[in-house]
Amino acid sequence: MSGPTDDRIINVDMTTQTATVAPFPDKWKLLGGRALSAKILLDQCDPTCEPLGPDNVLVMAPGVLAGTTAPTSGRISIGGKSPLTNGIKEANTGGQPGQHLMKLGYRAIIVTGQPADANARFGLEVTADGISVVAADEQKGKWNYALCESLHEKYDKTASFITIGPAGEARLTGASVATTDQDNRYPARHAARGGLGAVMGSKGLKYVAVDPGKASARQPSDRKKFGELCKGYSKDYLAGPQMFKTGTSSVVPVANMLNTFPYKNRVEGQSPDAATLDGARIVESFEERGGGMHNCMTGCIVKCSNIVHDAEGNYKTSALEFETLTLLGANCAVASWEDVADMDRLCDELGLDTIETGAAIGILMDAGQMEWGDAEGMKALLREIPEGGDRGNAIGNGAVATGKFTGHHRVPHARGQAIPAWDPRPLKATGVTYCTSPMGADHTAGLIVNPGLQPDQFAWESQKAQLVNAVCDSSGFCQFLQPSLDNIRDFYGALYGQEIGRDEIADQGWQCLVDEWAFNDGAGFTADDDVLADCMAEDAIGGGQVFDVPKDIIQAAKQRMPSQEDLFTVKASG
Amino acid sequence: MPQIIIPPPYQGPTQGVGRLEVEGRSVRACLDAVESLHPGFLAQVIDSAGSVHRFVKLFRNADLLTGDGLDTALDAADELEIVAAIAGG
Repeated sequence: MSGPTDDRIINVDMTTQTATVAPFPDKWKLLGGRALSAKILLDQCDPTCEPLGPDNVLVMAPGVLAGTTAPTSGRISIGGKSPLTNGIKEANTGGQPGQHLMKLGYRAIIVTGQPADANARFGLEVTADGISVVAADEQKGKWNYALCESLHEKYDKTASFITIGPAGEARLTGASVATTDQDNRYPARHAARGGLGAVMGSKGLKYVAVDPGKASARQPSDRKKFGELCKGYSKDYLAGPQMFKTGTSSVVPVANMLNTFPYKNRVEGQSPDAATLDGARIVESFEERGGGMHNCMTGCIVKCSNIVHDAEGNYKTSALEFETLTLLGANCAVASWEDVADMDRLCDELGLDTIETGAAIGILMDAGQMEWGDAEGMKALLREIPEGGDRGNAIGNGAVATGKFTGHHRVPHARGQAIPAWDPRPLKATGVTYCTSPMGADHTAGLIVNPGLQPDQFAWESQKAQLVNAVCDSSGFCQFLQPSLDNIRDFYGALYGQEIGRDEIADQGWQCLVDEWAFNDGAGFTADDDVLADCMAEDAIGGGQVFDVPKDIIQAAKQRMPSQEDLFTVKASG
Repeated sequence: MPQIIIPPPYQGPTQGVGRLEVEGRSVRACLDAVESLHPGFLAQVIDSAGSVHRFVKLFRNADLLTGDGLDTALDAADELEIVAAIAGG
């Protein structure tokens, strides 16, 4: 197999604060992102380990195509044992670090161990000249934007960063890992779900700085074919409807119409505030305030990320997404997208998952411990999180922790992780994904938005979506580019100069799921854990819809079914 | 008869049916025909003002219909595809 060669892995031991480089195994050449993370974790991480202890392994793995000229292909996976679910977790994000690592030939960073001094902070520097772990106590406690500003003064302007905020340092289980966007300035991209920011914090690692210098794009084996694929895919995409060019926030009215815009801790599926939370309002603001749409990574043709300004025309936040507008907006009965934008910024600064945080605050409100719609109260609550305190800690630790803190009965989660905006009651096949995915309640693991599906279709649709998304999240492609398995294998084939058959790419996706399920089995999970919180079966929305999928249908999604034609042609969707 | 291609998110009222042949010589007439077969479908495509929802696009034989598109003539062999953005993090 030809194509990019001499790839390496960075091994970082945070007990000794040393970093070494090892050759990347040839047998893993077609693995990247999520599949690579799963393989490494199954190989190196004890599934019974304490997620915030020294034996957990944190993986940062760009996708296979990152660093090449393939469109929208620079995504990176952050992986480890989740302190939120106690199972395996992969969180996928954009920004620049994935591109930069691969341009330098680094397929993964594997972080093990833990400093003896829990108060010490370190950074990891990755450049063309070498790798080193450096003391970084001066960065301790910094919020993400101030941290990146400080890092920009320290490093060349070509560097990008992977960071945690105070939430990760405090080891809160709702903590995210941030990456800087295409301009290398703003830590507005987040590998948010599953608390991997807490894992990074438990290892004393405050940031990773990746400086590719003048490294060029990775060269495919079949440059002509690769170039044709890039050109053809981009042309077809740009000639199509480009449904994400105004951002995921524009999905609000459709989601509301389908009863999957949860309101007031999911007691209803539609919000009376859909019009003022609609992403169209954000787009309308661009004319007077500036901001606009942009791409979060070099080479992205989707440009779904928004840059949001305040009323004075100053930058406020970036990547204000549908999920955030739902969980911090409708779910908490907040009516104004501008308030949600403020909270998006706060969560990005602190390094918190907006889905988990919004779900937690919704539970707090439902328990009567905060007024519905109290946006200023929410902002004050977020600002108090770095100070510690029982309430702040509960929120920072997510929905289940807040449920315990309040003693409230309605805690919508699957395996410890808050359910996202896409509700399993009208979208039952997506509910099957939440039950069976190794990731727990994660819509990016396999989203099926089809209220018309019949029960006998749920298992196949979920399995198909899970397999396709696993391959997509291993490839470096963004799910919003919506590549199919056929698209991905074509690119892999040109990258490495060999034919990648349908069976091979499907097997890869399935193996990723099998590896992850094996890790979770080792962590003590059984089929009895493949369930949603009781409230999803008990609380009806939108004309009496509950999650009532029988156990045998749910479990069927984990039994490999014969490949059908649509497995290879359906687009990734998350 | 023209064929109407319905995206998965809108297949609730059609009970999972994604392709329908209906009588009609315009986009509007065909959408009305689908509604008569599957009540509740039309509101997903047309807003309360009688226009196509902002987040919906209509394609006739893979060509994007400009403007509203509702008065576009459809021939018997035509395909009308309804596309809506549904996904999002």
